[in-house]
Amino acid sequence: MKLKKLKIFFVALALLCPVFVYSQVQERFPKPDFESGYVRPDLLTPAPRSVVWEYMDILVLVAALSLATYFAHKLRSRRNIFLLMVFSLVYFGFYRKGCVCSVGAVQNVSFALFNLAYVIPLSVILFFALPLIFTLFYGRTFCAAVCPLGAIQDAVVLKPISVPEWLARLLSMFPYVYLGLAVLFAATGAGFIICQYDPFVGFFRFGADFNMVILGMSMLLLGTIVARPYCRYLCPYGVLLNWMSRLSRRHVRITPDECNKCRLCEESCPFGAIKKADEETQPMKKETDVKQLAVLFILLPVIVFGFGWVGSRLDISLSRLHPTVSLAEEVLLENAGKRTEMTDATKAFRATGKPLEELFAEARAIQTQFHKGGWILGGFIGLILCLKLISLFIRRRQLEYDVDKGTCLSCGRCFAYCPYEQVRLGQMTPEELKELDRRDVSIKQFRA
Amino acid sequence: MMEKQNKELHVKNRTELWYNIAKNIAIVTAVLAGILSVLMIANFIQTKSVDPLNSQAISQLMTKLQENPEDTVLIEQIRALDLLARKAYFTHQWQIRTGSYLLFTFVLILLLALKYMSSLAPRFPDLTKGPETEKTWESRLLSRKYILYGGLGLVLLAFVLGVLSQTELKKIGIFQPQKNQATSGYASLKEIRDNWPGFRGPEGIGWAYHTDVPKEWDGPSGKNIRWKIEIPYPGFNSPIIWGKKIFLSSADRRRQVMYCIDADSGEFLWQRELNDIPGSPERRPQVTEDTGFAAPTMTTDGTRVFALFATGDIACLDFDGNRVWAKNLGVPENHYGHSSSLITYQDLLLIQYDQNTGGRLLALSTLSGDMVYDQPRDVEISWASPVLVNTGKRDELILNSNPFVMSHDPRTGQELWRVRCMLGEIAPSPAYADGMVYVVNDYARLAGIKLGESAEMVWEYIDDLSEVSSPLASNDYLFMSASYGTVTCLDNKTGERLWLEEFEEGFYSSPILVGEFVYLMDMSGVTYVFKADKEFQLISRNELGEKAMSIPAFMHDRIYIRGTKNLYCIGE
Amino acid sequence: MKEKSSKDRIKRRDFVRKSLHSIVGLSIGGLAGVLFSRSSKEEMVWQLDPNICIQCEKCAVNCVLPHSAVKCVHSYSMCGYCDLCSGYLQPGAKHRDTGAESQLCPSGAIKRTYIEDPYFEYTIDEELCVGCGKCVKGCNSFGNGSLYLQARHDRCLNCNQCSIARRCPSQAWKRVPASQPYILRGDESGKYRKG
Repeated sequence: MKLKKLKIFFVALALLCPVFVYSQVQERFPKPDFESGYVRPDLLTPAPRSVVWEYMDILVLVAALSLATYFAHKLRSRRNIFLLMVFSLVYFGFYRKGCVCSVGAVQNVSFALFNLAYVIPLSVILFFALPLIFTLFYGRTFCAAVCPLGAIQDAVVLKPISVPEWLARLLSMFPYVYLGLAVLFAATGAGFIICQYDPFVGFFRFGADFNMVILGMSMLLLGTIVARPYCRYLCPYGVLLNWMSRLSRRHVRITPDECNKCRLCEESCPFGAIKKADEETQPMKKETDVKQLAVLFILLPVIVFGFGWVGSRLDISLSRLHPTVSLAEEVLLENAGKRTEMTDATKAFRATGKPLEELFAEARAIQTQFHKGGWILGGFIGLILCLKLISLFIRRRQLEYDVDKGTCLSCGRCFAYCPYEQVRLGQMTPEELKELDRRDVSIKQFRA
Repeated sequence: MMEKQNKELHVKNRTELWYNIAKNIAIVTAVLAGILSVLMIANFIQTKSVDPLNSQAISQLMTKLQENPEDTVLIEQIRALDLLARKAYFTHQWQIRTGSYLLFTFVLILLLALKYMSSLAPRFPDLTKGPETEKTWESRLLSRKYILYGGLGLVLLAFVLGVLSQTELKKIGIFQPQKNQATSGYASLKEIRDNWPGFRGPEGIGWAYHTDVPKEWDGPSGKNIRWKIEIPYPGFNSPIIWGKKIFLSSADRRRQVMYCIDADSGEFLWQRELNDIPGSPERRPQVTEDTGFAAPTMTTDGTRVFALFATGDIACLDFDGNRVWAKNLGVPENHYGHSSSLITYQDLLLIQYDQNTGGRLLALSTLSGDMVYDQPRDVEISWASPVLVNTGKRDELILNSNPFVMSHDPRTGQELWRVRCMLGEIAPSPAYADGMVYVVNDYARLAGIKLGESAEMVWEYIDDLSEVSSPLASNDYLFMSASYGTVTCLDNKTGERLWLEEFEEGFYSSPILVGEFVYLMDMSGVTYVFKADKEFQLISRNELGEKAMSIPAFMHDRIYIRGTKNLYCIGE
Repeated sequence: MKEKSSKDRIKRRDFVRKSLHSIVGLSIGGLAGVLFSRSSKEEMVWQLDPNICIQCEKCAVNCVLPHSAVKCVHSYSMCGYCDLCSGYLQPGAKHRDTGAESQLCPSGAIKRTYIEDPYFEYTIDEELCVGCGKCVKGCNSFGNGSLYLQARHDRCLNCNQCSIARRCPSQAWKRVPASQPYILRGDESGKYRKG
């Protein structure tokens, strides 16, 4: 017995060339019969999280969304929103390790729509849809108190600066690009880039590679002075929430009553979501602008088409991020003599014996998908660009200090600045309000 | 009034107290967090540079141990180092974990303190200045400008990216199904048959697909000889052709050379000497005169050419003569000199390396020369060459040796079937047609083997057997030529002899099927063209002008014959 | 007149907003419904198919957790209990003992115990296993293939996009239902037989 094994062993040694092992399970040695009464131990198979907890997550989500809405609209209490935010940070962030989150759920939905083989879990659908529905009715209360990514950024806001308007508008174009790319990559199966580049999930998991740690730390450090940078200038889900929020029937307002344009709330929003009231003498239109607007309208289809065309031209470079395409490319380059060594991936592929033509056909199909998707992505971005520019020509008279429905996160920081709020809370009488000398506000009056 | 003011003052003092407490806590935790971060970064850098689980020191000691396996001191050293390494790894893990939790706690406290401090400082606007809403138009103008620039910039970037990325792949043709070979990766069967890529033509069975070739020529008078060129050093390998390039190799005691000749002009495109191959033996092995140092015929896969020499040196050059890779397979134990020719299968270079020490089938990667598999074979030494055909359901590599003719899966090297029917020193390569394999050796037999569920010999013939020349099977007939001058034609399904002809000189070269005719060259260079039919019908007898042992190559409307000194191009 | 037109404008705006509101609300509901019809009641978790795995050692490095969730598991029903275990011993090992110079496992996670002549039992200590797969390679090449890598679900976080799966050269990672979270070999593979 032993000699035979030794012989096999030495023959194996002799063939010490890099034989490519393709996991062939061969019973080379017979299974023993034990005489001493030894019993083989069982293989332990620890189970993953039970499905009960998944339903629990959904319940907690619904409860948190409802509470957030209640706190923002009915109670109008910043403190309660803050506490709920801390709870969400702990539950959805550190306990559930930030996964699955509503921001990432966009990708799962895109993937499910274009890949019938992928079975999307119920909780993911609800994590995608519920915040949108709530926002559609009540504004972005999700952002304020439920989203763990938002919560961790909110937790580090210390000395927020106000970003110049033009810069804020420019940067807020980026989430559209990010959303478009994320949907494209998810739909084609190339990968989930939101998850890959999520700066905060590393903190939630207490585990990330070096680059992710650096990214996360930088984002948080930035977040101490630029409040919620990811939420405002990166979050792709925020695009959808922005749209929903703009259409919302009931949105939080700064004042519970009316606005007397006392200006006390002007600097209260760290996110720059407050629209100031116009002075009566403001002119609303300029002559030259009308001409430029007309030109823009005419150019709109050209821009959309042009962007779409450029997007379609990106099919080769973007499709490379798909593992099948990059494998096919590698194999092609190797066969054509442009590479001197094979990679693990190509070796593994060649060992499967799958015909090359099949791989190339798959790669071609994916590139076609990227081609079509690129048209849509480009067109989408072009359209958004034009709409944004058009909106910058049009201005409605702003009669009072109010929130920007699209970007207001319903965090409730501005409530306490409003004297009408203080009347509502009973800290001031209506008479005192009328005589309010704004230059004389003190800390005591402010802290509710 | 006074009471209210007093109360206000009291509250103000209290809040100031809390503010200061918070400030101090913040400073302390900030410092602690800072120190901890620095420690963790240092830890990280340290483990990045030295991975405890793949330690250099341990590997070096292990190689030493291979030489002195019983050195107990060394063993103790290794064990101690290994223990240290493992401990270091797990300690590092622990450090990361604990460090992160600690850091998290400090940062949390720091944040709470800072948050408290900032909440005590509400943000009020400077009411002495106006709300500056007239600045709104300017900011809008600015926004429009920058957004426009931003959008154009993005598009420009995307465009450049899109255009730049296409160049390399476009040259190859991306993934579009095109006619030329490079895109699908390997040469297709059609392309292989369109060229003459190895010994005895495409697939190695002696079938020529270019049938519009001359039937008459005369070397001495120059009739139908388009050009002839002298090949500097000796070699018995046959010319191979891809496109308009002809490849040959030569070798003598001092040098090994590979050549490329232009098929139209008959001029050398390049000559490459291969004298500095790593692992090449100092002294050349012993070979006989009629085998030489460059007996194996080269092969090509459409982008590269491969040559094997009697020293065991194997080299891969691209079509421009640039060396891609070269190595030595170990000097073959072969008393005549290695002569089995090379053949490629997709991305593999296959070598029948049957020697006195045993039989082996080697597969090297055509790209890198790395060994993909080395399959031992249960046979003795052989000088025959491989045949690679699709036998209906699968591709098979069929090798003739003593005592078995064996078939292998070219992708994995695994044996598919074997038939015991051979004896002696095997030189003729197999023939194949229509689901049957034919092998022959002098003093053994000519066997007709039928493939199917299993391979079995269905007929044998024992007269006038060949010892060097390989047999040729057409759809109905089998042609066998012998080194003493006989040519036999049999019915390939039954083994019944149809005719036997005797010629003046013997045959080392093998017959080639060209449409309805067979071209067969004898040792003096005379080529006989006769009909591939059940009755012998000689069409022509063509002199070359010198001796020849190689296999002619048939390409387009020309024939290329390598004599002992020159390469001839025969065409109208 | 101006007042009326501005009021009209507001009414029109309101109408547009309300109709958009309903359309959007219905579309989200519709989308959710479509996906719901194709959804699963249970979560999908990540798992490695050991028959596709090529033991490239990337599982150990690419998990988001510092101590990878991928561990080696041992199918005792398939094991040959050999003295000369190619998953335990280094290829060049001169002595068949438990010395560090003989062991293949870099972190010493495989424990070798004598059972009876000539059988030895090999168990994996998951606390020590890093998931590199060196032992798996040895066992598959020269042994019965009873050692293989699996993601352990008491550790695995089940990320939306598994960062090991993303980098696996042979695409051996799949999503499997949480009720059948392992792809096993040997007699244990019947544990999760479908249907």
